[in-house]
Amino acid sequence: MDFSYSPQEERFRAELRAWLADALPRGWGETVFEPEDEDERAMFRLEWERKLHSGGWSGINWPVEYGGRGATLVERAIFAEEMARVGAPEGLNIIGHNLAGPTILLFGTEEQKKYFLPRILSSEDVWCQGFSEPNAGSDLASVRTRAERRGDKFIVNGQKIWTSFAQYSQWCFALVRTDPDAPKHKGLSFLLIDMKSPGISIRPLRQISGECEFNETFFDDVEVPVENIVGDINDGWRIAMTTLAYERGPEDALGRQIRFSQELEKLIGTTAATRRGDAMLIDDPIVRQKLARAVTEVEVMRLNAVRTFSKYLNGDDRGPDASIIKLYWSHAAQNMYEAAMDILGPTAPIAAPDPLSTGGGRFQLSYLQSKAFTIYSGSSEIQRNIIGERMLGLPR
Amino acid sequence: MNFGFNEEQKSLGETVAALLADFPALTTPDPAEARDPAVWRALADLGLFALLVPEAHGGVGLTLVDVALAIEALGAGLAPPIAASTLIATDIIVREGTAQQQASLLPRIATGDLRIALAVMENGQGYDPGAVQTVMGGNGITGSKILVPDADVADLLLVVARVDGRVGLVLVAHDARGVSIRHHADIDPSSGLCEVTLDGAALMDGAVIGHAGSGDAVTRLMDAGAIVYAGMAMGMAGRMLDTAVDYAKTRVQFGQPIGAFQSIKHRCADMAVAVEAGRSAAYYAFWTAAENVPDRSRAASMAKAYCGEVARDVCNETVQIHGGMGFTWELGLHRFLRRTKVLEHGFGNHVWHYERIMVETLAVQSAVEAARAA
Repeated sequence: MDFSYSPQEERFRAELRAWLADALPRGWGETVFEPEDEDERAMFRLEWERKLHSGGWSGINWPVEYGGRGATLVERAIFAEEMARVGAPEGLNIIGHNLAGPTILLFGTEEQKKYFLPRILSSEDVWCQGFSEPNAGSDLASVRTRAERRGDKFIVNGQKIWTSFAQYSQWCFALVRTDPDAPKHKGLSFLLIDMKSPGISIRPLRQISGECEFNETFFDDVEVPVENIVGDINDGWRIAMTTLAYERGPEDALGRQIRFSQELEKLIGTTAATRRGDAMLIDDPIVRQKLARAVTEVEVMRLNAVRTFSKYLNGDDRGPDASIIKLYWSHAAQNMYEAAMDILGPTAPIAAPDPLSTGGGRFQLSYLQSKAFTIYSGSSEIQRNIIGERMLGLPR
Repeated sequence: MNFGFNEEQKSLGETVAALLADFPALTTPDPAEARDPAVWRALADLGLFALLVPEAHGGVGLTLVDVALAIEALGAGLAPPIAASTLIATDIIVREGTAQQQASLLPRIATGDLRIALAVMENGQGYDPGAVQTVMGGNGITGSKILVPDADVADLLLVVARVDGRVGLVLVAHDARGVSIRHHADIDPSSGLCEVTLDGAALMDGAVIGHAGSGDAVTRLMDAGAIVYAGMAMGMAGRMLDTAVDYAKTRVQFGQPIGAFQSIKHRCADMAVAVEAGRSAAYYAFWTAAENVPDRSRAASMAKAYCGEVARDVCNETVQIHGGMGFTWELGLHRFLRRTKVLEHGFGNHVWHYERIMVETLAVQSAVEAARAA
């Protein structure tokens, strides 16, 4: 066990740090922030992602031949740490980078890899995920969206839901039914669908936060060339499970952990700057207990991710351990935002831009957003089934 | 960077676990029958107490990371607390002892001929070692220590006391004039918890650890103690999780194993998550102590606070999953419940450590802000 970094890893860090100092807008995080407007913010994040790519910092642990940097998982962790240190913006093509890319890398044909992977890294193609349907949520294998083979095309009909970023996406990977007569897990295929195809329409869905990140996506006789299947026909379930292992895995968790630790730092700063009666909020022992618990849980998120990286580096396969990572961070983050609202006290309901909001009124939106954490990419109940049955061997 | 244990480290943990399993008294239902004096000699013969001792003093020269899984096994096997106490004391003597102290003590520790108990807490003083009233003066050392595990079987006591106006660590022989030892009536008789009264107790030569005023010894004791206790707590939590899962697979009600019910399955899954998370916190803390990095105290406090809570929760859940059987004396789950309670309150409970985390976090945050402003 060794948490220190090799000279090569330290060089990687220094190089990234120098690049970031130039690349971020002057005054970033102090006087310059992300745009308030949702669409403008999405475009800002896309620009940032493209800037990272032009600097050679996109897909750092992907193979060089597909446009990556060929970096190690440790360097991937350093990358996350440095992004955290400067409070760098998030990207927009998260689904492309974290889900579509790794899935195509593992199961795609050489042609698919050569075509799609560099375009994901450059964010020329932003991706969305077509898994859930109105009647296939936790019971994902019951998807009904059909793909019928006609000559060299699949004809896709059906509806997907909770399609985050569909409005910004060029491509969608989708789980579709190719054999309605087979048992439900055995009649599914994994298709890559061009979002410009005729017959696709999207309708924004408003979330409890008031934002419209996700959508309903409708497929009406959408033609998909047969070469856009990943893996074999009717082998889509296995592939989708791998995609989900990435969605729940340590790379994803580490990226989120950064944002949570930044928000926690701001929360601590807010308590140190907020007067409550004769004392500062930070002097309240109950506030301190809640903050310290959050500090610990957010640190454990990082340690869980790094520990799992090490398991992979030491040769272990990706498996149900991803569910442990996801179940942990989603609840820990919810606890943190719940604690934030408790700590703010009487002014907790007052949000930005009200002049009386505490801490810039930033925590109310995050609190609302955090409710999604334990639902998406497999609800906590599904994660607990996976852990219980596949890790602990409990009966179904 | 690598967060994994190597084969030697894993095998050491397995060896200690297997050795302890040969002493069924350790986990017997009656905690008053669970103190088997033969365990110490068996662990010593295995070489456990030589591991942290430098080669120059007859040991193996390993670090706390190397013995982390062995310490987990001590927890899981309900080993006599004197084993962990002696390992903690060894770390302190190796790091903070004078050359003379090391030369006289470490070779005897390595061979298992020196058992050291840790006397930290005092009645009415909470968990803070800075608040102790025991004082060393010209007439020896005077004060009263409580909750000293296995004090009655120790050769030496490592006592937190006031020395020249500061708080330091003082070694006292168990049979020195002025030392009296009384067993507490307590929740876990297998821990051998004692009150130690020092009435001008005679000091041995070179009794004060390190040099007067050389700073880190007490903090290091609290950190190493917290980390070792966190490790043992995770060993117990891991064992209780396995026990609960095994029972859920075999106990049939309503015509199926209870583990098929989601109310049970999901509890087991939540325990598995907590155990993994606790291990992440504990293992990192072991590393910070082994390398003595600046993050050591914060990491130690995180591990102790968090793992203490995890072990408590997992023990509670395991009793619940066993239903009426879980509440029986005979099944013996209460042994783990009792021992975790002792570990939870040794070297600071979660409330004390969360406050310490806050102090450390604010210090780091203001240092970062000062650096940014400069």
